[in-house]
Amino acid sequence: MTMTTERLIDDLSTKLRAVPRRAVERRLALSLIVGMVVSGLLMAGSLGIRADLASALRGFAFWMKTGYVGTVAALCAAASVRLAHPDTAPPGWLWLLGLPVLVVAVLAGLQMANAPPEAWAGLWLGKTWTVCPFLVFGLSIPIFVALTRGLAKLAPTRLRATGTLAGLTAGASAALVYCLHCPESTAGFLLVWYSAGIGLTGLLGALAGPRLLRW
Amino acid sequence: MPGHEERLRPLMLAALAGDAGSYHEMLSAAAPLLRGYFRRRLGNAPEDIEDLVQETLIAIHTRRATYDGVRPFTAWMYALARYKLADLLRRGQAEISLDGFEDILSGGDFESAAAARMDVEALLASLPAKQARVIRETKLEGLSVAEAAAQEGLTVADVKVSVHRGLKQLALRLKGK
Repeated sequence: MTMTTERLIDDLSTKLRAVPRRAVERRLALSLIVGMVVSGLLMAGSLGIRADLASALRGFAFWMKTGYVGTVAALCAAASVRLAHPDTAPPGWLWLLGLPVLVVAVLAGLQMANAPPEAWAGLWLGKTWTVCPFLVFGLSIPIFVALTRGLAKLAPTRLRATGTLAGLTAGASAALVYCLHCPESTAGFLLVWYSAGIGLTGLLGALAGPRLLRW
Repeated sequence: MPGHEERLRPLMLAALAGDAGSYHEMLSAAAPLLRGYFRRRLGNAPEDIEDLVQETLIAIHTRRATYDGVRPFTAWMYALARYKLADLLRRGQAEISLDGFEDILSGGDFESAAAARMDVEALLASLPAKQARVIRETKLEGLSVAEAAAQEGLTVADVKVSVHRGLKQLALRLKGK
């Protein structure tokens, strides 16, 4: 019994290779990039990229949207990196996620204040509210799969929290990809429907995390 | 006993840089620490304990990239060990810890057997009466699930559920020790 443990130790020692610096970050970044490329190709092939992208790049709405989902993606990705280590808890700075939400909520309020009441419904619903969350969710699946596969090779110990953060990261990254297609331009739409799509993947992560992330 | 952290951490850092000798020394020193860790939590189940020690050593190896060199090494190692233990308990193999008590009861000298019997009784007493009864019948008195069900006037499924819940509770308690 002890003999086989000794043999195991010999065996593991001969298999040792040096670990590069920031190996966890690298592995998860690779997963994220692979997932986003697949998701981007999927979107370009099915939904297409908005024809007026060049002019959209000069407007405010595009940068508001990418700024919002990009910030959420970055924060959630950083938290996922933390949770990939066995001896850590969900980071205390996750409350920072409230900041982009708050900024977009304030922008939504300003846009409402500057529009006549007849236009308010349009500010919140746009033209695509029935499909937006589901498209973001669908585009997030390749990223979610890549991220959870990467995480399962690391050492998460809080699987539900890790799954949730991986889901939110995948959702927000998919939303970033979706910005290349989505024609909507209001803060209210972004706040509700983008967040709903991101939240769906977060929910998927919370439900599937304990199963997908076991090691 | 000071010094595990001070001794193991530099070895692990050298191992991460590729030094197989330090790595071998670190794993060899970690194994008995892990053995003690699992023994304190699982009681007397030597095969289980050695399985967990080996699983944890393998986890140390395959997941060594997740050791952040500026944090304490032993905390990282025990976090892996805790996960492996929780995973075992989650898989419902916690019965093994009770089987361990059975071994003590059926063999060994009277004094340790009596002490173990008291441990088991104390643990069972902390459970709801029904769970304690079906565990005693199926795990200690050797009745089959069907026999215990007949004796208690319960369905087979009911007995299975009670045994399972009770064992889970006991496993949690042992883990908390």
